[in-house]
Amino acid sequence: MSPESAPTTLALLWFGLLGLLLFIYVSLDGFDLGVGILSLFTRKEERRGLMMASLGLMWHPNQTWLVVLGGMLFGAFPPAYAVVLSAFYLPMILLLLGFILRGVSFEFQAAVRYHSLWRLAFGGGSLLAALAQGFLLGGLLSGPRVVEGQFAGSVWDWLNPFAALVAAGLVCGYALLGGAYLVLKTEGELRAQSRGQARAAAWLVAAAALAVAVAAGLRHPELTRKWLGPPLAFLVVPPLTLGGVLLSLRKGREYAPFLWTLGFFAAAFVCLGASLYPCLIPPGVTIAAAAAPDHLLTVMLVGLVVLLPVMLAYNAYQYWVFWGKVKEGAYPGD
Amino acid sequence: MPLLADAVTLARLQFALTTMFHIVWTLLSIGLSLFLVAVEGLWLKTGDRDYYRHARFWGRLLILNVALGVVSGIPLEFQFGTNWSRFAAATGGFFGSILGFEGAMAFMLEAAFLGLMVFGWGRVPRGVHFFATCMVALGASLSAFWIMVANAWMQTPAGGVMAGGRFVVTDYLAAVMNPDMFLAVNHMWLAAVETTLFVVGGLSAWYLLRGRQVEMFLKSFKVVLLAAVLVAPLQVFLGDASGRAVARYQPAKVAAIESHWHTNPPGEGAPWKLLAWPNFARQDNDWTFLTIPSGLSLLLTHSRAGRVQGLRDFPREDQPPVALPFYAFRVMIAVGFALFFLMLWTLWAWRKGALTLDGLPRQRRLLQAWVAAVPLGYLAVETGWITREVGRQPWIIYGLMRTREAASPLPGATVAASLITYLVLYSLLFLAFLIFARRLLLKGPDLDEAPPGRRPSPEGP
Repeated sequence: MSPESAPTTLALLWFGLLGLLLFIYVSLDGFDLGVGILSLFTRKEERRGLMMASLGLMWHPNQTWLVVLGGMLFGAFPPAYAVVLSAFYLPMILLLLGFILRGVSFEFQAAVRYHSLWRLAFGGGSLLAALAQGFLLGGLLSGPRVVEGQFAGSVWDWLNPFAALVAAGLVCGYALLGGAYLVLKTEGELRAQSRGQARAAAWLVAAAALAVAVAAGLRHPELTRKWLGPPLAFLVVPPLTLGGVLLSLRKGREYAPFLWTLGFFAAAFVCLGASLYPCLIPPGVTIAAAAAPDHLLTVMLVGLVVLLPVMLAYNAYQYWVFWGKVKEGAYPGD
Repeated sequence: MPLLADAVTLARLQFALTTMFHIVWTLLSIGLSLFLVAVEGLWLKTGDRDYYRHARFWGRLLILNVALGVVSGIPLEFQFGTNWSRFAAATGGFFGSILGFEGAMAFMLEAAFLGLMVFGWGRVPRGVHFFATCMVALGASLSAFWIMVANAWMQTPAGGVMAGGRFVVTDYLAAVMNPDMFLAVNHMWLAAVETTLFVVGGLSAWYLLRGRQVEMFLKSFKVVLLAAVLVAPLQVFLGDASGRAVARYQPAKVAAIESHWHTNPPGEGAPWKLLAWPNFARQDNDWTFLTIPSGLSLLLTHSRAGRVQGLRDFPREDQPPVALPFYAFRVMIAVGFALFFLMLWTLWAWRKGALTLDGLPRQRRLLQAWVAAVPLGYLAVETGWITREVGRQPWIIYGLMRTREAASPLPGATVAASLITYLVLYSLLFLAFLIFARRLLLKGPDLDEAPPGRRPSPEGP
């Protein structure tokens, strides 16, 4: 279990699987959070109601992917789970607060006469959750101080300019996802508004991604070498997908902006994973050192291989049932 | 205050607060979703509109409960990492995989099908809707199963050894099927069902007392009563079995629950005390009230002179707190029997023909007792939980890892801040729930709601 040893095939597989779960979470809950963030920039009350209605109850299973991810990370890489959550105690609490605000705003707004307060909770909760996730990711990339497998830094370490940059980028990225989702889910004025918001968000994402890459590259020359080396995919694919987002938005397409945005997130994910490898938490915690023993990983793998397709299938069924443009008065539906 | 400077104590308080808040909502999430399966099934079978109205009416209460259960449940999963990182690192491989399975098998199932259950009326065929309701119920119960597997493993760890500060699993199945698992899962699950029965029954009785939709609520009252005939005695039986299992696997806990300090000498039974006041410094009781000779031996070993280890047999640093489990346990038992006798009383009244439209007005006392019983199930679960978890101390994994060694190295002020945040937020959420639930109950069921047809209409509802 020395940090120098290479990770087993199973550990690598789990690194990939957790990446996949994270990607599923980010793409699905990303648009929920993005719609919430955009609702803060929407004046008209009924339009905000429609934005919430566009998410139906799907925000709930979408958010649940993070719970699945959390449990699987806990099982597959226990020390990493312990370090990440204790190092980022405060962003974690803020994230959970954001989730609580968003969750009750959905459930309670159906039961009340005055909706505006709960809709504010929806927007505020979404923004808080997105910011907290951004600071968590930024703090993770800045490398928390780990001694003997335990976090040894201060509870405020995550609050640094680099992490703030990452957080701003993630908020814009979620806003882009949310905007692209609203383009395919709504019509009329709201769609026009969402198209504009998505375009603005895409430019901001481009700027933030560039700034993050430069800041990280300057601090870690070995990363720059990795990125500039062959096959140059790091330099080519993310800008290409973001270009696709902007072009499809300008052409007024319905589905293409959302799909291009997913492509951009997928590219960013692969770049992130490849940059981190062989670490799970840079600089000290490697995949090999953090992995649970192989026989446990096997048990979990069997479980996940059976459950993942089932989960995807019934989630897809929900989307199929509630497919189509969201209409006025669609919430609460009963 | 030295107590507030101690991060571990604060982390324990935070875990207790967040768990005891969360558990409130899970009870109805489990029980009410099963009740909904029953009434929706009855509607499909008999075509009786009242059952359809029940499905819609109680469904709204379920949504409120699930909402709070979900928002308060997620912090719990992550709390193992944020506040108990040394526990997480030591046990993660096994413990984490259980939470992972819970998420993937249960939590997701409930979350996804809830949307279909709430919004799906009239959009999907009746059969598909019924399937969704069943999946919500299955998800909630499976969730309870996995969580209790994890919790039971902390009570009676099995399937591996502690080596180098880490729990190494040698036999995964044995760890899942640990000695406490079967009783823990069933006792908790049945507690959820029983609490729900007395909530639904009590609220139905409230409508009956006010003479609102009497015919409709008499139906739910009878469904509940029939289920309670099975559940209430079974829970008393499971409680007794649990007590004897605890005596076998966690002797210090049972000694604390009974404030039992001295092991009884051979040939002489250990007494049972109704009330007592434990004194840790003297390692004895200051006073006792109403003692039954040999009572404890009979309860725990089912024999007159069965040996019951006293707390003095354990080193002081291995003794759990005594007063809290002792009194919490007695409250739980009292509630268990109260609900059992309420069920018997109602059954007797039914036999005398009281549960008819004409007989009901003469049963005000009985109905009032049911209304009063609404909070009792919650009380029993919370006190039972306190008994179980405080009685496990000073261990986080019984006999293997101490709670003190498991906490994250965090400054006390940080934990205090999050604890206060949870306290304020949860109080507000609880208040909001009471307001919304009250509004929902005062409004009552919607009698104009037309049941959807067999096939979904193209327009939706």
